[in-house]
Amino acid sequence: MTLIYQLINGLQLGAIYALVALGYSMVYGIVQLINFAHGDIIMVGAYVSWYIIAKMNAPAWVSVVAAIVFCALFGILIEKVAYKPLRRSARISLLITAIGISLLLENTSQLIFTANPRMFTNIFSGAINIGERSVSYATLVTIVISVLIMIGLTVLVSKTKIGRAMRAVSEDNAAAQLMGINVNNTISFTFGLGSALAAVAAILYCCSYQQISPTMGSMLGLKAFVAAVLGGIGSMPGAMIGGLCIGIAEALTKGYISSQLSDAVVFGILIIVLLLKPTGILGRSDKEKV
Amino acid sequence: MTPILDVSGLGIDFGGLQALDDFNIQVASKEIVGLIGPNGAGKTTVFNLLTNVYKPTRGSIRLAGSNTRGKTIHAVNVSGIARTFQNIRIFKELTVLDNVKIALHQNMRSTLLECIFRLPRYWKEEHEANRRAMELLEVFHMGEHAGDLAGSLPYGAQRRLEIARALATDPKVLLLDEPAAGMNNTETHELLETIRLIREQFDIAIILIEHDMSLVMGICERILVLNYGLIIAHGTPDEIKNNPTVIEAYLGQQRGE
Amino acid sequence: MKHTVFAKTPVKYILNTVCTAAVITLLVLLTSGGALNNYQTDLLKLIGINIILAVSLNLAAGFLGQLPLGHAGFMSIGAYAAALFSKSVALPANIEFPMALLVGGLFAAAFGVIIGLPALRLHGDYLAILTLGFGEIIRVIIQNMTITGGASGLRGIEKHTSIFWVYLMVAATIFVITTFIRSRHGRAVLAIREDEIAAEASGIPTTRYKVMAFTISAFFAGIAGGLYAHYLSILDAANFGFMKSVEILVMVVLGGLGSIIGSVVAATGLTLLPELLRGFSDYRMVIYSLLLVVVMIFKPSGLFGKYDFSLGGTLDSAILWLRSPNKFHTVREKIAKLKSKKGGKA
Repeated sequence: MTLIYQLINGLQLGAIYALVALGYSMVYGIVQLINFAHGDIIMVGAYVSWYIIAKMNAPAWVSVVAAIVFCALFGILIEKVAYKPLRRSARISLLITAIGISLLLENTSQLIFTANPRMFTNIFSGAINIGERSVSYATLVTIVISVLIMIGLTVLVSKTKIGRAMRAVSEDNAAAQLMGINVNNTISFTFGLGSALAAVAAILYCCSYQQISPTMGSMLGLKAFVAAVLGGIGSMPGAMIGGLCIGIAEALTKGYISSQLSDAVVFGILIIVLLLKPTGILGRSDKEKV
Repeated sequence: MTPILDVSGLGIDFGGLQALDDFNIQVASKEIVGLIGPNGAGKTTVFNLLTNVYKPTRGSIRLAGSNTRGKTIHAVNVSGIARTFQNIRIFKELTVLDNVKIALHQNMRSTLLECIFRLPRYWKEEHEANRRAMELLEVFHMGEHAGDLAGSLPYGAQRRLEIARALATDPKVLLLDEPAAGMNNTETHELLETIRLIREQFDIAIILIEHDMSLVMGICERILVLNYGLIIAHGTPDEIKNNPTVIEAYLGQQRGE
Repeated sequence: MKHTVFAKTPVKYILNTVCTAAVITLLVLLTSGGALNNYQTDLLKLIGINIILAVSLNLAAGFLGQLPLGHAGFMSIGAYAAALFSKSVALPANIEFPMALLVGGLFAAAFGVIIGLPALRLHGDYLAILTLGFGEIIRVIIQNMTITGGASGLRGIEKHTSIFWVYLMVAATIFVITTFIRSRHGRAVLAIREDEIAAEASGIPTTRYKVMAFTISAFFAGIAGGLYAHYLSILDAANFGFMKSVEILVMVVLGGLGSIIGSVVAATGLTLLPELLRGFSDYRMVIYSLLLVVVMIFKPSGLFGKYDFSLGGTLDSAILWLRSPNKFHTVREKIAKLKSKKGGKA
C-alpha cells in the first residue's frame, strides 16, 4: 500500500516537474539556451497568485488566470529585453545573462516580499481515501490537469500552425525564415507558453506545498531541468517522461532511503544520463559536420 | 614501389545508408591523385575515414605498411596523414605563426614542468619551433603575416595557412579538401603552383578533392571518380575526360534538375 | 625596428619577480603595520582568494573554452581536505599550512581528473550541466558525511591565512597559468578552444589536454579553498553550491574570458562592490544582478575581452614612445581620432 502512496506522490511531483521541464525543453529546442531564469518564473507565478488571493481578495479562478497571463507576458518581456540582443553572441554570454535574470528576479522579490515565507491557501482543499491513506484533492487535480495540458500541448505542436512553426524554427532557423515563418513571434510565443506552463506548475505546487519564498524556484527549477535533460533536452515528450521519472525517483528516495539524499539521487541520475547517453531518453544526436 | 597509402575495400554505412562501398586506392610517395564526383558522392567521407573521424564499417587502411584502424584522430596525424577541411578550419583568434607552431607540437618534448619553470629545453624548443614555422610560412610567402591574427587574412591566404599548418605536422600523405573553393582563376593558378612546389620540396603523396576541373586536370596524375559512394572510374586525366560513365554522372545531375 | 627589451627576453622575468615581490611586501607592511584595519585586511584576503578562483576558472573557461559550472565544488574539496589535514597534524604553522594547502590542491586536482575524464567527452552545454551536477553532488555528500561535520559544518580551523600566504598564492597561480598558456601545452589548449576537430587533426591529443587544463584549474581552486578555510575558521558545505560557482563565473566573464588581468580586476571589483554597496544593503543584490545583465547585454566580451596585460610589453611601448621624435604628435593624433569617433557617434 505504501508503495502505491509513494507512487502517487511521485506522479504528482513528476507532473509538476514535467510542466516546468516542458518550458526548458521548448526554449532550448528553439534558441539553444538553458534558461536559468525559468525556475524563477515559477516563483513569480506563485507570488502573483498569492497576492491576488490574499491581498486583493479575489476569487481563486481570477488569480489562476491572472498568474498565467502575467507569467506568459513576463516571459516574453524577458526574452525581448535580455535574450534577443544576444542571439548572435557566444553561448556563455547568453547563459550568464539568464543567470543574471534569475538572480535579479530572486533578489527583487526578496526586496518586495521579504525572505519570510508566505502561506498559500490551497484552492483544492479536502481529500479522498484510497485504502488506508488519504490522498488530497490537490494531488489528484495536479495529476489530472497536467495530463490534460500535456495532451493539449502535443496536439498544439503537431496539428496547429504555430506548433509547426515552433518545430520548424527548432530544426533550422534560417530555413524557417525562408519559408516565411516569423521567427521572432514564434520565439516569443514559445517563451510565453513555457512561462504560462510554469505558472500552472506554480499554482499546483503551492496547493500541495503551501509555503512560497523568493528562492522556491531555484531548486525546483534545477530538478525540472535535470528532468528535461533526462528526457532529452529539446524534446517535448522527453520532458514529460523525464519529469515523471524524476518525480517518482525523488518520492521513492524520500520514502524509502532518506529525505536529505533525494537531491543527491536526482543529480546522480543526471550524471548517469550524461555519461551513458547525453542526449537523454528521447533526444536527438547533435553531431558536428566535419 | 610499395604504396605509402594502401586502402582496400573501404566502406561505411550510416544506419541504412551505404555512404561508401568498396573503395580502393594505392598511392605512392610524391604522387598527386584527384578525387572527384558530384556533390554528395562521398568524397569528404573518404577523407573522414582516412583520418579516423569516422570509423569504417568495413575495409582496411594501411599507412607505410601499418594499419591505422582503431587509432585516435591525433594518432593518425602523428602516423603521417594530414588534411585540410572543406570549410577552412584555422585557429582564427590565434596568430598565423601560432597556427603553424601548434602543428609542430608532436615533435616537441618539453614537459609541463620544464615549460612552467622556463627551463633550458623550453627556450631551445620554442626557438626551434619559431624558426621552423617561419621557414614553412616563407615557402607560402606568408612570412610577413606571422604576427597577424589568422582570422584577419584574406580567404586565399587562410587556405594557404591551413595547408602550411598541415605540412608542419610532417605528414607522409596530405589530403586537400576542395582547396580551390571560392578562389578566382589567378588564385587557383597560384594554388596549382603551390601544390607542385609542395610535391617537389616535400616527400609526400597528395590526394586532392576538387570541383575545379582546371586544377584537377592540370595537376593530378591519376583521378578517381566517385558517385553515390562507389568508384565509377579510375584513370589518367585524359581517360577520365572522355569516359562516358563520368560524363553521365555529371550531366545526369544537370538533367535531373 | 621594434625595440623590445622587456617583452621578449628573460629580463621580463626579473622585472615581474621584482614587481611582484614589491607588491607583496607593500601589502604585508600595510596590514601588519596597522595602516589597514582588520576589516580592510580581511577584505584584502578575500580579494586575493577570489582572484585565485577567478584566474583558475579562466583557464578552463576562457582559455580552454569550456563552461564549467561546478568550480565551487573543487574549492570546497580543497577547503575540507586542507582543514582536515591541518586539524589532524600538529606541526609548526609555517610547515603545516603550506602542506595543508598542497593537500587541498591535490585532492581537488584528483577530483578534477575524476570528473574531467567523463565530462570532457561531452560538448558545450552538456559539459556545463554535468559539472553543475557534480558540484551539487559534492555539496550534498559533504553535508552528509560525519568526518566533515555533517550538516553543522566543520569548526575550529586554525586561522593560518595571512596576507603574505594569500598573495604568494595569487602570484603563484598567475605565474603558473601564464607560463602554461605561453608554452606548447598552452597553445594546444588554445587550439582546442578555437577548433577542437582541427586541433586533433593537427596531432594534438585533445582529451589529454582538456583534462590537464581542467585539473590545473581544479588544483588552484583547491588552494583557494584551503586559504578560505583557514581564513574563516568554519566551513559549511552549503556555501559552496551552484550559487558560489556562479559568482566565480561572473567574475571571469565580466573581466573577459581569456584575460588574466581581466579576472584580477573583476575579482577585485566584485569583492569590493558588495562592501561598498553596504549602505544600500537591501538593494545591493538587486543592483549586482542588474549590473550583470546590463554588462552582458552591452559588452558580452567582458571588460578586457581577450586582452592580456604584460608589464614588459607596456614598458616597451612606453620606452618606444619616449624615444620617438614626435611623441606628442602621436598623442595629438590619438586625441583627434577619439574626437572624430565621438563626433561621428553623436
